[in-house]
Amino acid sequence: MATNNTIRRRAIILLTLTSIMLVTLDLQDSPQVAGLRSVFGTLFYPVEGVARVITRPVGNAWYGVTHYNKLLDENSLLRQQVAQQEGATVAAAASVRLSQELLALNGLPTLAGINAVTAQVIGESPTSFSQTIEINQGAESGIRVGMPVLNAAGLIGKITKVFTNRSFVMLITDPEFSISVKVVSTGRKTTDSTVQGITSVTTSTAVPLEPISNIPDAETTTTTTTTIPIEGFTAVVTTLPATPKGLTSITIPLASELDVRETGVIQGNGPARQPTVRFIDNSLRFGSIEAGVPIVTAGGSRSLAPPDVLIGVVSRVVERVGSAGPLLEIELAAELTNLSFVRILLYQPITEKKSP
Amino acid sequence: MSRLLIILASRWTRLVLVLLIVLALQTTLFKELRPFGVAAQIILLFVTCAGIQFGINIGAIVGLIAGLMFDFVVSTPAGLGSIALGLTGATAGLYIYFFPNPIWWLRLLTVAFVSVVGEIYVLIAQAMVGLGVVLEFGLLKIIAVVTAVNICLSPGFFLVTRWTLSERKKTR
Repeated sequence: MATNNTIRRRAIILLTLTSIMLVTLDLQDSPQVAGLRSVFGTLFYPVEGVARVITRPVGNAWYGVTHYNKLLDENSLLRQQVAQQEGATVAAAASVRLSQELLALNGLPTLAGINAVTAQVIGESPTSFSQTIEINQGAESGIRVGMPVLNAAGLIGKITKVFTNRSFVMLITDPEFSISVKVVSTGRKTTDSTVQGITSVTTSTAVPLEPISNIPDAETTTTTTTTIPIEGFTAVVTTLPATPKGLTSITIPLASELDVRETGVIQGNGPARQPTVRFIDNSLRFGSIEAGVPIVTAGGSRSLAPPDVLIGVVSRVVERVGSAGPLLEIELAAELTNLSFVRILLYQPITEKKSP
Repeated sequence: MSRLLIILASRWTRLVLVLLIVLALQTTLFKELRPFGVAAQIILLFVTCAGIQFGINIGAIVGLIAGLMFDFVVSTPAGLGSIALGLTGATAGLYIYFFPNPIWWLRLLTVAFVSVVGEIYVLIAQAMVGLGVVLEFGLLKIIAVVTAVNICLSPGFFLVTRWTLSERKKTR
């Protein structure tokens, strides 16, 4: 009996030390722990698959009982929304196409040039403390840790663990999630200046500071764009067609009237609270931020997401004393409670890419 | 060969196999059945029942092994759940120390108490390694639901843990 107790105590000490060692190694992103996790995942996946098949009817029955009324309400609401959106979609598609053509024309990267993988959500987090989901695509599809994950509405999170055929996505509401964002102010009053006729516009990377005026009529208007090669993007060189004489009308906004941006960092606050944006500067030029202003990813060489991915809109501005700047509460564009299919942008910032 | 058979027939081998099934249920069925939006924690319940029936040492070992297996399928740092569940198993094992003669309602009360403590251990462990823990009213809801579900499922899990961890009598 005493021998048994000694053996058990030794086992407890050994297992505790192993756990502490694993915590230490895993917090430093040790490849050995990742390997162990991968091996266990490979062994456990068939068992889990069998359990999923067996328990699916029970899960479906549970959903049927607990979500029936909610589904009916949601269905009728969605039908209304679809009817409303059908008209708007056509106009939006045209606007997006125009916007992407303009970005390509100026040699700027666009989301259309980034490859993406579509994945199905196969599970939520088995615990209630972390905001993660599991998807059915992994390293075989080119997914890497850190890649941004979107649904049709906007950014929903980033990849945190990758296995061969599945991955974990940390949702934007997780307290560990943070990414740099920009707040685009659109509340300014704008006045347009119209110029009649331009002889030729050559390659330009800067927005003109003042409106161009008193330029004589010309027969054609041609714009040429040179593209800077950026790995991961496909930029298109476009030449505008000749415009008939006398009909040229180009609108050039004043630089002072262009939308201004402010950058900050968005952080999750758990499922019950909205994410917040911090580190916004109290800039006089930017003016006051109002509810409804869109929040998009900032991009940049160190950011894990490309620029201009929609995250949501400002729902509340919390003013803080001193130089701390305001705190913005964000209403996410994506609905995180009902995810079924997601899109993973196969995007890695230049700083994350391994040199050949 | 006979030594291998002894190892395969031991309760620890049985424990690992049963834990694989419990873990599979946790990551499939109990991940989807979310009463009030909270995932039930049957791994925690298994460890609690083992501790209550077999004492501090076995409770701690079951907790450490179960936690280690659980850590490999979730995204939190490996080893963290192991420590938290090991502590939970040991805490549950105190029941035998204080109440050597089992009383059914006292067992249920202990399951409730250890479930609350176990969830708190998980939060403390996460906070100690710098993982973000948001203290909000929702945490009370999580703890309450996990506790209630554990009480409901505990009679079945007492049978499962007793079958898994009991030592078979040698037959000649």
